[in-house]
Amino acid sequence: MALKFDYIASVLFLAVGVLFIVGSKNLESSSYGSAVGPDIFPLILGSALVLLSIRLFYETFITKNHYGTKEKLQYKPFIIIFTTTLLYILTLETIGYVITTFLFLFVCFQTMQRSKVILSLIISACFSGLVYFLYVDVLKGTLPGWPIWF
Amino acid sequence: MSTIEYLIQGLGTALIWYNILFAFVGVLIGTAVGVLPGIGPMSGVALLIPVTASITGGLPPEQAATSAIILLAGVYYGAMYGGSTTSILLNTPGESSSVVTTLDGYQMAKKGRAGSALSIAAIGSFVAGIVTLVALILLAKPLSAVAIKFGPAEYFSLMLLGLGAVSGLAGKSVTKALIMTVCGLLLGTIGIDSVSGIARFTFDVPWLYQGIEFLTIAVGLFALGEVFKTILEKDEEEAEIAKINNLLPSKEELKESAGPITRGSLLGFFVGILPGAGATLASFFSYILEKKISKTPSKFGTGTIAGVAAPESANNAASGGAMIPLLTLGIPGSGTTAILMGALMMYNVQPGPLLFEDHPQVAWGLIASMFIGNIMLLILNLPLVKVFAKIIQTPKQFLIPMIIAISIFGVYAVQVSTYDLLLLLGCGILGYFLSKNDYPIAPLVLGLVLGPMVENNLRRALTISNGDFSIFVTRPISLVFLLITLLWLIIPFMMKRRGKDVIINIEG
Repeated sequence: MALKFDYIASVLFLAVGVLFIVGSKNLESSSYGSAVGPDIFPLILGSALVLLSIRLFYETFITKNHYGTKEKLQYKPFIIIFTTTLLYILTLETIGYVITTFLFLFVCFQTMQRSKVILSLIISACFSGLVYFLYVDVLKGTLPGWPIWF
Repeated sequence: MSTIEYLIQGLGTALIWYNILFAFVGVLIGTAVGVLPGIGPMSGVALLIPVTASITGGLPPEQAATSAIILLAGVYYGAMYGGSTTSILLNTPGESSSVVTTLDGYQMAKKGRAGSALSIAAIGSFVAGIVTLVALILLAKPLSAVAIKFGPAEYFSLMLLGLGAVSGLAGKSVTKALIMTVCGLLLGTIGIDSVSGIARFTFDVPWLYQGIEFLTIAVGLFALGEVFKTILEKDEEEAEIAKINNLLPSKEELKESAGPITRGSLLGFFVGILPGAGATLASFFSYILEKKISKTPSKFGTGTIAGVAAPESANNAASGGAMIPLLTLGIPGSGTTAILMGALMMYNVQPGPLLFEDHPQVAWGLIASMFIGNIMLLILNLPLVKVFAKIIQTPKQFLIPMIIAISIFGVYAVQVSTYDLLLLLGCGILGYFLSKNDYPIAPLVLGLVLGPMVENNLRRALTISNGDFSIFVTRPISLVFLLITLLWLIIPFMMKRRGKDVIINIEG
């Protein structure tokens, strides 16, 4: 698996390098009469990345005895937690910190292990409430606290 | 003013009540971070930057920077203390820098000598911390006096040396490490160019104009990456904690470990100063050294106290030694110090030779607080070691989601932008895949933090020479730095080719 990843990665890094070279070609090449402009550094780096990714491709190519150890990955909890996190991020500004954090924590606690429902509820409530209180009321920070339609 | 006067002034800063509190909280969290496997010093410090930024928000800028760096540095060296606890009691190192400690520490615990192993580790760490601090105080002024004479060409070469050294030692493949470094540097070019004012690679997206925030990247790659790893590769095994009885070491044990502690401290300190070689390498080297000079090398691995004292002193000394290039030259030599540097720069405090002149309060306040922090750690660790050993039993069910929640809160509190949160989540996924496939992450963060400075010095040097690149090889100091960089990258490569095992720095 690592082998396959390295092949894909080297191609991707190559693409990034080329993009940066092309991008820096479109920049001004000089500023206030100085011999060096904002394009030179990204240009050098982009070229270096291209060379390195070719080298990585070659290294992966000559590595033959690459045996990948297959381990069992826990996809289901990961996907649930990832999706919950994404939803949490996207709804944070509209629904507010306290409610989203509470729901996020509770769902994740239960995904990690289906037990201690009441303790999970208490911890999620304490965490979201305490962080909001400490940050907004004590430290005078800004957080979207409650739903915008409130 | 003389060094002593500065130090007394620094002590005054460090003894302000809230700074004592910050140091205490820092070392406490640091120890917890060290004990918990899965959260290393790097993600620990990265996670706490936003939290400290909001806590210190009410203070004047310079004091805020001092307090924040006192807390963050406390996490860093506190983690070195905590790492030993799990190595000895559970045979699972909390940090990569405590891997060697498991060899003899766990054996001692099995024989019922866990208490003395733990206390020797704490005492060794304390002695090492004090030794490095004295060295730091003695070296800080002369080193910054030398560094202040450097021109842009020398600085550029020195930074290349730092980046090259970290890449050369950072992972299994130098190519992959270099790719990560270059990617970090490239990410640093996104945003408005500070010299010409031109927007680069922003594609007219306003969010990108201010550049990519290193904090988001660091928290995402380190903290979330590790969290995702824990979720995906859940292991159910529960290890048994060894019992602790009689905490105080006997007189013979103290006598036996005095030598290893001294040697470990000195060796660790010098390894720590070298860029790229961090606490992990220092602990390995000191263990090997002790084994070589010991009269009874066969005793190593069966629970000899020297095998605990030396590496534990060395890794603590190395974490102090790593502060020297950071504070005096402005060059971080490891992932964690790169994050500390990023934190200082968030407060508009530029580490480097001018730090001791422009912000003596920050520099000396930090040094003095490290004294206080080390004493706190010794006091905390000896009686409370049982409590800390309990931390490891924190159920992952609650720990993992809370780390995600803290990361999101932290990044949002500093950046106030949903785009940054999305970037954070993306970096988490990326961090998992990258580290799973042996792409070291520390060089990327280092590149991102150093990128703008590397570029500025490059362009200043080239402007002076009118676009002539030979300025970097005609100036002697710069040439020396470049040659060392080259050697640093080539030698490990040649050794690998000959089939020799090269010890690599896992921590970065």
